[in-house]
Amino acid sequence: MRPEQQGIEVAVLVSVGRHPITGRARRADQDARGLEMALGLEHQLPGSRVSLLHAGPRSEEGEAALRGYLGMGLDTLTLLEQAEGSDAIPALAEHLAAAPPQLVITGARAERGEGSGLLPYALAERLGWPLVNGLAAVEKVENGVATLLQALPRGQRRRLKVRLPAIVSVDAAAPVARQSAFGPARRAELAATAVSAEPDRELAEWQLAPARKRPKRLKIVKAASARDRFKAAAAKAEGGSGQVLEGVSAEQGAEAILKLLNEEGVLR
Amino acid sequence: MLETLLPILIFAALGLAVIGAWRRVRLWRQGRPSAVPLLKGLAAMPRRYLVDLHHVVGRDKVMSNTHVATAGGFVAAAVLMILVHGFGLAQGVLGWLLLAASAVMFVGSRFVARRRRNPPARLSKGPWMRLPKSLAAFSLGVFLITLPTVGLLPADFGHWLLALVLAAVVVWGLGEMVFGMTWGGPMKHAFAGALHLAFHRRAERFGEGNRSTGLKALNLDDEAAPLGVEKPADFTWNQLLGFDACVQCGRCEAVCPAFAAGQPLNPKKLIQDMVVGLAGGSDANYAGSPYPGKPVGEHVGSPHGPIVAREGKALVDAETLWSCTTCRACVEECPMMIEHVDAIVDMRRHLTLERGQTPNKGAEVLDNLIATDNPGGFDPGSRLHWAADLNLPLMADVKQAEVLLWLGDGAFDMRNQRTLRALVKVLRAAEVEFAVLGTEERDSGDVARRLGDEATFQSLAKRNIATLAKYRFQRIVTCDPHSFHVLGNEYGELGGPDFNANWEVRHHSTFIAELYDAGRLAFAPWKGGRVTYHDPCYLGRYNGEYEAPRNVLKALGIEVKEMERSGFRSRCCGGGGGAPITDIPGERRIPDMRMNDVKESGAELVAVGCPQCTAMLEGVVDAAAEVRDIAELVADALVARAAPEAVDASRRNAGKTAEEVI
Repeated sequence: MRPEQQGIEVAVLVSVGRHPITGRARRADQDARGLEMALGLEHQLPGSRVSLLHAGPRSEEGEAALRGYLGMGLDTLTLLEQAEGSDAIPALAEHLAAAPPQLVITGARAERGEGSGLLPYALAERLGWPLVNGLAAVEKVENGVATLLQALPRGQRRRLKVRLPAIVSVDAAAPVARQSAFGPARRAELAATAVSAEPDRELAEWQLAPARKRPKRLKIVKAASARDRFKAAAAKAEGGSGQVLEGVSAEQGAEAILKLLNEEGVLR
Repeated sequence: MLETLLPILIFAALGLAVIGAWRRVRLWRQGRPSAVPLLKGLAAMPRRYLVDLHHVVGRDKVMSNTHVATAGGFVAAAVLMILVHGFGLAQGVLGWLLLAASAVMFVGSRFVARRRRNPPARLSKGPWMRLPKSLAAFSLGVFLITLPTVGLLPADFGHWLLALVLAAVVVWGLGEMVFGMTWGGPMKHAFAGALHLAFHRRAERFGEGNRSTGLKALNLDDEAAPLGVEKPADFTWNQLLGFDACVQCGRCEAVCPAFAAGQPLNPKKLIQDMVVGLAGGSDANYAGSPYPGKPVGEHVGSPHGPIVAREGKALVDAETLWSCTTCRACVEECPMMIEHVDAIVDMRRHLTLERGQTPNKGAEVLDNLIATDNPGGFDPGSRLHWAADLNLPLMADVKQAEVLLWLGDGAFDMRNQRTLRALVKVLRAAEVEFAVLGTEERDSGDVARRLGDEATFQSLAKRNIATLAKYRFQRIVTCDPHSFHVLGNEYGELGGPDFNANWEVRHHSTFIAELYDAGRLAFAPWKGGRVTYHDPCYLGRYNGEYEAPRNVLKALGIEVKEMERSGFRSRCCGGGGGAPITDIPGERRIPDMRMNDVKESGAELVAVGCPQCTAMLEGVVDAAAEVRDIAELVADALVARAAPEAVDASRRNAGKTAEEVI
């Protein structure tokens, strides 16, 4: 018997991005990769449907950026219109819960705002759905179970089976987004629905400052010959003093982390 | 017997020709509307044909004379034949004139036959190979049937069998020359060509010294208007008419750099494919050189079907369209004044704006242009970093200057920064009052437009136009011919009538030549080796500037060793039209071929006037010649000018260089 492989509903959460050099609004790189993955899925599983979802205020600059996603070949984008400074998570969760798609794809981290990368986790927690981060590919969907390929550091991949519905987040390991075309972007529709705005109280208390580059540990290579230098450059990062804790209690784990942070000089 | 048969044959052929013409006109009318003055165009047609067209045909003297004899003889013979044999007006001189006209045409047809004996590869074969025979049949048949009419032969000369044979020859001649003209035979070029000249989309290109090279803007405010050309019917009707006028002489093919490089483009085949598209069918009957690497007969199209298939094959493959460097060599050579580059960019517009299918690095470059206003994705704030020590006056500070120095995107390229520094040194030596826009300058939009992204082009252009409107200056000087072309020929359509009323654009070679002529620059004698000059397409063919760079080199004391292909026939460096970005593979590289031209000229140094040409030619491995921009050659040769009141002092200072800025 052929396994049941049929189309699924995919919702892609997209945000207004920010160009790293000029700061202009654009389609966010990771979100666009997420949409690319969804469009690939539409091709791979005929009958799949991709919908776009954005929660946030409506502005001219933001609209141009959101149309960047539509230019990749979609007709509509659902805009959950909120006032500036509202929390997007309750609005998104409510919308997704009302008509649950099987798969929600989102970028790992927004390019503006908090950019904490917590949205997929918060959403998964609210909806009670499983979450997979760093997705590289969706291999197949059969009988409500998706086989996913997760990207790990250094090009490693891990195959996972996840029961749908699920939330997956993509980062730079996902396929590069296709070009956004002007004509489809201009014609497509932004379907705006006003939603109850829940002000993000925590954000209001925050102080925002321009980001600074984080200090990086210098890599000191003590190699005498070119061969050694090459080996050092190509070698896998060895966690020299690292340890694997298994079967420890939360307190013991926390203590070990605290100890490490003190050793590394992160906490003083 | 012939007296009764001839009028029937002639008017039957004419009647069928009228039906064919009507059908052909209906095919062209499938295209979108285009406002051209019909009567004015028809009135201008004879002059466009006799002067402008024959100016191009006349580059090949033998062919030009052949065409004058054949076409002139045919037109005269056809008109007289209708009068003499159709209406029976044989009295007096008409019959003798008809004899003379058909004799001239026959001589012409022999020259056509001679050229067809060993035809060069660029000529199409197929039906074109029978054309000399058909021309001979028509002229000979008309000549022979006129002999009895003028009384050179008795009216009842010969056997009825002879009359029948003669009638058959005349039928063949009429069939090719009259019926075939509107039903798609080789003579179609005369019918469509004449109307194409009358209703040409760029009427302004006709006339001595006139040119019209700027691309036409898309109306982006009209959301119903198609963005570029998806199907043949999306061309304007007079573009379709233009394609139909092609004589398949293959001059375009012979000069196309992409074709020579083995990339899948042949301008002649492209135009023929458009003809296939407008009539519907397959390209199997095409009898010329194919696109390199693409066999003939695999592509089909229809007026309302896509030109480039989303999947599989349609009329043309996308890489054919992306191989073009927009060098305009084909347009310059086309005796039928067909606008190949317009058509290619129209089709690219659809691929980019509607499908988002700009190949290879295209999408990345366009995204960079949108986000950072330059194709490389550099920080726009770093546009003046190369000039950190030069203390360039900024327009934002001085508000007005004699010269606005337009830097172009070469400002981010370390090689071109050397050219820019040399140019600044020259301007300072000539004491030119100039200023730069600095970080207010954006990419001119040239590359976006040639890649088909009209939206990004117009966005950049409108912002640049607004910036230019803030300041006062007499001229813009730039060392980038692409910016020069776009500022001078393409912004006007978007900027409104007053946009460039108060200033003009100059290429730096033109400006340096003016400075030299005004005595504001003095040069040390040239001590280097042999030098050749490479004409940039966007300076030469696009803007007609061939002399100024040569005058500057002459002023430097350089005797230019011309390459075989120079001036209006200069071969492209391969860097235009976004071709290095879309990077369609071929068998050879275009810059390698150009560097080979340089080598054959025997030059040790090639002078250029374009950042793209510099980059492409310097990218040639194991090159025989050094590549230097004209500005660099000038800057190196600068000596202090002799002050008018102190000629004696000048002798002592002759060796002293101008103020050092590098």
